Amino acid sequence: MLTKPHTVKTALLEAFPLALAIAAYGLSYGVLATQAHWSLWSTIMMSVLVFSGSVQLMIIAMVISGATLPGMIITAVLLNLRNLLYGASLADNLAPASRKYRWLLAFGVSDESFVLGNIRYQKYGADPLYFGVVAGLFYSAWVIASYIGAYIGDLIDPVRWGLDLAFPITFVALLIPSLTDKSIIATAVTALGIASILHYIMPTNEFNLIITGVISPFVGMYIARRQQHV
Amino acid sequence: MSEQWILILVLCIVTFLSRLIGVEMMAGRILHPTLRLYFNYVPIAMMVALIVDQIVITDQGSTSISLPIVGGAVAATLMIKVTRSFLPTVIIGVLVGLGIRYLLSS
Repeated sequence: MLTKPHTVKTALLEAFPLALAIAAYGLSYGVLATQAHWSLWSTIMMSVLVFSGSVQLMIIAMVISGATLPGMIITAVLLNLRNLLYGASLADNLAPASRKYRWLLAFGVSDESFVLGNIRYQKYGADPLYFGVVAGLFYSAWVIASYIGAYIGDLIDPVRWGLDLAFPITFVALLIPSLTDKSIIATAVTALGIASILHYIMPTNEFNLIITGVISPFVGMYIARRQQHV
Repeated sequence: MSEQWILILVLCIVTFLSRLIGVEMMAGRILHPTLRLYFNYVPIAMMVALIVDQIVITDQGSTSISLPIVGGAVAATLMIKVTRSFLPTVIIGVLVGLGIRYLLSS
C-alpha cells in the first residue's frame, strides 16, 4: 500500500520533467499572445481559466490571422473533443474521488496529465491523489510560464530557443517506453499511418486527432484478442 | 465587456465542459470489458497523433515535415532506449532538434 506522502513525492518527481516541457510551451504562448497585442491580464487569465495549450495557442494564431469569434469557438469545440476520450479513459482512475474533488480534477485533464495518469493507472490502479498532484503542478507551471512569456513578450523568439520542440520530444520520450506489447505497437503503427494519411489529404483539419484516436485502438483490440485465442 | 473577455469566458466553459462530461459520465460505472480494452489503447493512439500533428507542418496549403522535430525525436528514441532516464532524453532531443534547425538555416 502506497502512503500519501509517498504518492505526492512520486507524482512530483514523475511530473517535473513534463512540467518543464509545459513551461516551455507556456512561455511560447505568453510571447505569442503579446505579439497578438493581448494585454498581460488577458493573457494570464486565459491560462488561469482555460488551461489548455492546444486551444490557447490555436486561438492566438487565429486572433493574429483575424478570425471571427464564432470561428474561434467552433475550433475550440473541435480541439476539445479529445477531452471526451481522455475523460472516458481516465474515469476509472478518478472514480474513487468525491464528486466535488472529481470536478476539480476534471479541470486538470490535459494531454500530459492524461498520459501520466494512465501510466500510473496501468501500474497501480486508481489514484486520484496522484492525478491531482500532477495536474496541480502542470497548472502552476502553465500559469507561471504564461506570465513570464507575456512579461518578457517581444524579447525572445520561441522558435530560435527551441521552445516549440519541447512538446513533441517529451511525448516521444513518454511513448517509446510504453511500446512493450505487440498490440500496443500495432496501435501506435496504425495511428502513425492514419494520422500521416489524414494530414496529407486533409491538412489543418481539427478532426485528424480525433479520427486517429478513435480508429487506431480497434487494431490494438484485434491483436490482443487474437493473442488471447492462440 | 470586450470581445476578448467574452472569448476567454466561452473558451473556459467549452473546455471545462468537454473535460467534465468524459470524467463524470463514465466515472464509477462498470465498463464492459471490450470498452475497457478499447480505452486501454486510446492513450497510445492519441500520443502518436499528437506527435504526428507536431511533425507535419502545413503552410498555405502545402504540407512538409519538420526535420528538426524528426531528428530530435530519433535522438530522443535512442536516448530513452539506452539511458531509460527521462529528463536527459528530452534535453538531448531538443538540443539535437535545435542543431538541425541551425544547420538548415545556415
